[in-house]
Amino acid sequence: MTRELQTHLEDKSQELRETGLSEDEANNIATESFGPPQLIAQQIYEVHSQGTWQEAFFAALSHLLVALLFFASYYWQNIICLSIILVAVTCIVIYGWCHNKPMWFFPWLGYYLLPVIITGMLLIYLPHGWVWLATLAYFPLALFAFAYIMKQTASRDWLYVSLMLAPLPVVFSWSLALGINESLPSNMLSARLQPAIPWIVISFLVLAVATFAYARVRQRWCKAATLLIPPSVILVSVTLVNRGNIGFWGWLILLFSLFALASPAWLQARS
Amino acid sequence: MMDYGRELLKGNTDCLLLCLINNQATYGYQIIKELEKRSNGYFQFKEGTLYPALHRMEKEKLIKGEWQMLPNGQQRRYYHITKRGKQVLAKRLAVWQDFSTAVRLVTQPATT
Repeated sequence: MTRELQTHLEDKSQELRETGLSEDEANNIATESFGPPQLIAQQIYEVHSQGTWQEAFFAALSHLLVALLFFASYYWQNIICLSIILVAVTCIVIYGWCHNKPMWFFPWLGYYLLPVIITGMLLIYLPHGWVWLATLAYFPLALFAFAYIMKQTASRDWLYVSLMLAPLPVVFSWSLALGINESLPSNMLSARLQPAIPWIVISFLVLAVATFAYARVRQRWCKAATLLIPPSVILVSVTLVNRGNIGFWGWLILLFSLFALASPAWLQARS
Repeated sequence: MMDYGRELLKGNTDCLLLCLINNQATYGYQIIKELEKRSNGYFQFKEGTLYPALHRMEKEKLIKGEWQMLPNGQQRRYYHITKRGKQVLAKRLAVWQDFSTAVRLVTQPATT
């Protein structure tokens, strides 16, 4: 697109120079004839930003898959089934990464980041002396992986960062509400999880609808709103249902995930 | 009155562009010049209007853009009309003909 506008600018400038104008004058008039650059950028963005129905469905499919896993909770607990899904998600992520990172790829990438985060949360289950050692090894590696992926994603579009991180507040809020950070025995965790499953499924269905809407709307502010509002509502609802009883670290993690989700939209509004 | 003219142009931009591209493969700068020339200066497209329209039509598979190298080494993106574009153009021209005939019949003085 830039190259096309550049050649047009050169043609126009050349024509003006042939009428006797200096190079600077010709370039200035040619540039002004394009109209406001922000308006052109916005119009061209709106042409290319709308995903096809297939792209929208494939982007939302990642959340639908998670909702399905929780709906059929037997499969969620089946390690073979989970491994197959993890391999499938890995293949999809590698395919998307190698094929110019299309829009539908980022929600899948977001889920691929979850094992990294969940590993960090599960460090609390290690024997007491090992926790600090594992934390020291884990955090630099996890932060490096996160920073690299965030940088790569943001270089495409800040909104893709929000698209990628949209599941984080939902996963965090449910994990904290279910007490995954309290070193509970597995039977107690399962007893807490079972009645919450319909609500977890609904949360991920809401995310799927929001992702579908993100892919189909054209305006940037609409895209930012579709990504920011549903996860925030889910996060607040789950926290309120849990009567805010998630502890200091729980609140800190939730606020961080909300900040990570909202910051791209905020940066976009400032630019 | 200018707003009315602008609205009319907005509603018929695709048709005008498809007509031009249907005649011969062409590029953005030439399209603006040709529209201005053929309409005796009536249609003065801004680049900011033209390129989003061309890209939207390309996304709708009505036209196809391809880079071509000129003998002087310069590259230009030429737009060709597609089969689907020809079908859409034929339908829109037919609608336009019917519409303009109807408007002319209504606006011309009634004959006995």
